[in-house]
Amino acid sequence: MEERLYDLIFICRPDTPEADIDKVITTLEHVATEKGGKIDSVNKWGRKRMAYRVQKLREGYYVYMVVRSSHGEVVKELERRLKVADPVMKYLTVRLDEELKRQDKLKRHRERRAARRPRKTVPAAPPMPGTEPQAAAPTA
Amino acid sequence: MAEENAPQQQSYGSSGGGGPRSSGPGGGPGGRPGGPAKRGKRNFVRKKKVCRFCVDKADFIDYKKAEILAPFIQERGKILPRRMTGTCSRHQRWLTVAIKRAQNIALLPFAAEL
Repeated sequence: MEERLYDLIFICRPDTPEADIDKVITTLEHVATEKGGKIDSVNKWGRKRMAYRVQKLREGYYVYMVVRSSHGEVVKELERRLKVADPVMKYLTVRLDEELKRQDKLKRHRERRAARRPRKTVPAAPPMPGTEPQAAAPTA
Repeated sequence: MAEENAPQQQSYGSSGGGGPRSSGPGGGPGGRPGGPAKRGKRNFVRKKKVCRFCVDKADFIDYKKAEILAPFIQERGKILPRRMTGTCSRHQRWLTVAIKRAQNIALLPFAAEL
């Protein structure tokens, strides 16, 4: 199975000390490597106001990471750990690679079209600028 | 046709263009040369809405950027329809997915709180 890329966001309770959050992150990293995956990047967004109340709290500590894995076991285990972890209130995993693939395809498509366009516009270009027809009119 | 034109011209003098126009299809061409037809024809020049994501040439819509998605939801948290925002169908499809993901991770509200 080819490698897959995931976004993983989780929200911790805002009153958890930084050390506990780091502990959660390191355990997740361990789990990922154990199962044959890899955590590409970890980005702590910090305390943010949430759009709605979760467990009667208005704020949460957001952590965002990118996970790379080649089989679903990794995500399954990571989600199980997050469910069990005490400071974690909420988490979300989103598969990323298919969207990246689509993005790539669109980009290539646009580049191809952009490469083709000059040939079409070059013959049309000379009459387009306003100065040339005026210069041509007196001579004709 | 000549017979039809004659009474219409009479009616111009008496009651204006309103009578023959409403009477039937023959009234249309009769009423056009006169002044009153202009009154009914109103041109609304509406600015054409353009898809904002097409302008930016967006290849995907990031659900993590709530500030980008925020203009596309109503105050109560509903997703705005295409006819309101002018988003093209492809981008609207991506947008709804992005908004729903953002809602799941509490970046956007499902419904405004009272």
